[in-house]
Amino acid sequence: MAYVSVDRAVKYFAREDGMEMLVLDGVSFEAREHGVTCLLGPSGCGKSTLLNVIAGLERLDGGKIEFQIPDSKLETGDPKLGYVFQDPRLLNWKRVEGNLTFALKGMNVPPGEWNDRLSKYLRLVGLSEFRQQYPLYLSGGMRQRVGLARALVIEPELLLMDEPFSKLDQLTARKLRQDSVEICARLKQTSILVTHDVEEAAYMGDRIVILSARPARIVEVVDNPLAPTERDFDDLHFIQFKKRLLSTVLKLVEQEGT
Amino acid sequence: MSSIHNDVPARPAARENLLAVSSEAAIRSRRAKLSSVAQALRDVGLRVGSIAALIFGWWILSLIFPATLIPKPWETFGEVGAIVASGDLFIEMGNTLRRVGVGFAVAMIASIPLGIFMGTLRSLESFFEPPVILGLTMPGLIWAVLAIMFFGLNETSAYAAVAVTIMPMLTISIWQGTKSIDKDLIDMADVFHASPWSKVVDVILPQLISHILAAIRYGLGLAWKVVVVVEMFGFSNGVGYRVVRGFNTFSMKAVLAWTITFLVVMIVIEFGMIGWLERSVTRWRPRVEGWRR
Repeated sequence: MAYVSVDRAVKYFAREDGMEMLVLDGVSFEAREHGVTCLLGPSGCGKSTLLNVIAGLERLDGGKIEFQIPDSKLETGDPKLGYVFQDPRLLNWKRVEGNLTFALKGMNVPPGEWNDRLSKYLRLVGLSEFRQQYPLYLSGGMRQRVGLARALVIEPELLLMDEPFSKLDQLTARKLRQDSVEICARLKQTSILVTHDVEEAAYMGDRIVILSARPARIVEVVDNPLAPTERDFDDLHFIQFKKRLLSTVLKLVEQEGT
Repeated sequence: MSSIHNDVPARPAARENLLAVSSEAAIRSRRAKLSSVAQALRDVGLRVGSIAALIFGWWILSLIFPATLIPKPWETFGEVGAIVASGDLFIEMGNTLRRVGVGFAVAMIASIPLGIFMGTLRSLESFFEPPVILGLTMPGLIWAVLAIMFFGLNETSAYAAVAVTIMPMLTISIWQGTKSIDKDLIDMADVFHASPWSKVVDVILPQLISHILAAIRYGLGLAWKVVVVVEMFGFSNGVGYRVVRGFNTFSMKAVLAWTITFLVVMIVIEFGMIGWLERSVTRWRPRVEGWRR
């Protein structure tokens, strides 16, 4: 069953010289329930725009986006969204727990539930001991974990992640990818992840949607042959899958070059 | 030669080595703590020394000039003691502080929203920029004259003079602070459906706090200067009035004594109250003292 379906999405951006620039050129794909869908494409191809459109931060100029939500708690029919940004975007003057309750307050979660939610999701991202800490006293990876916990604590129907690990060092990013895949699988969290990193897409995506350079078109939709628990950065099957994705993306880059 | 080497103990096992490292770290951190105490003592010592040097210079001058022009330091301090003992200090200082406090509060309440609006709306920025800049260049003395002419010799004129003098400075500070607000955090607040109230209190004001604190510092400095001028013009109480009374009786000792008590109260407010306020609202920020000498 499709959860989010994007149907022939078209989006223009107004340039400074007054011309309109095509960003999304009839993009269609479906994100499945309980799975992670990766939007993989070169930098500046419009994948973040696509995510913003799904989040309702920007409007489409053509096509439509539909959500199929079995029992939505929101009256509008829009899904309850959790968002993880490229930078953590934390309120540095609030403790870790304050950053989470900021989201809970915004989403009108009754204060009686706050404590249980905080304990649960901070434990999930491994930050139970840092509940009272201020963000600037945490490492970059830990701050991004707070960002993830803030998105999860509202128990979103759809989790959106915009290159959340791209600013972290290699080792920290790898650990966070592993943990995020595990968390999403355990929560059966429906998610859409935007990335330009082929390895990240292969590791995190249950379904990988490959986008062309701007204007973004769908090049290929690949379902990951490996279940979340079977993925291992050093495993041969994983490396083969990664190579297959990489060759598709490389072909794309070569076509751009000619 | 080789006997020296014999004295060197055998290499400790790896496990002991770890312990050794950790105890060394403990010693280092204790040493760091000690040196930070020493540093704090040195800082206090330098400040006390600086004040002592001022008093010493004063004493030298008092030896050169007659007592009517420059009284001896301890005689002046005796006068300060008399002012405190008689209870006059609390009455006069209370009057002056009330004038500063009310004027300051009025200015604050007006400038915070004005500054935030100027920082967010371009049209308001263009409209209010000229009066704010004009107001900044206007001397406080002239505001004092205008306020007394307009309101007469009453409390309102003191409140108005203080408020109008410091408002432009406060507004500019908050206006510039608002312009430097992180737009990404506002987007984040939108994604999580934060209410407008929560956006102001949780997202915008905390980013302005250091600008507001700086504004309070400068604003208080200005407010003291204006309030004393207003009081000199013909008020019958307040520190400014006492200074003028000293002037009229040509008592240098009284003028200096009142000035000193005033300075002491100001310093207590500046370092005590505002310093405390600053520490308590910026606890979330790691200290950046490390690179200083």
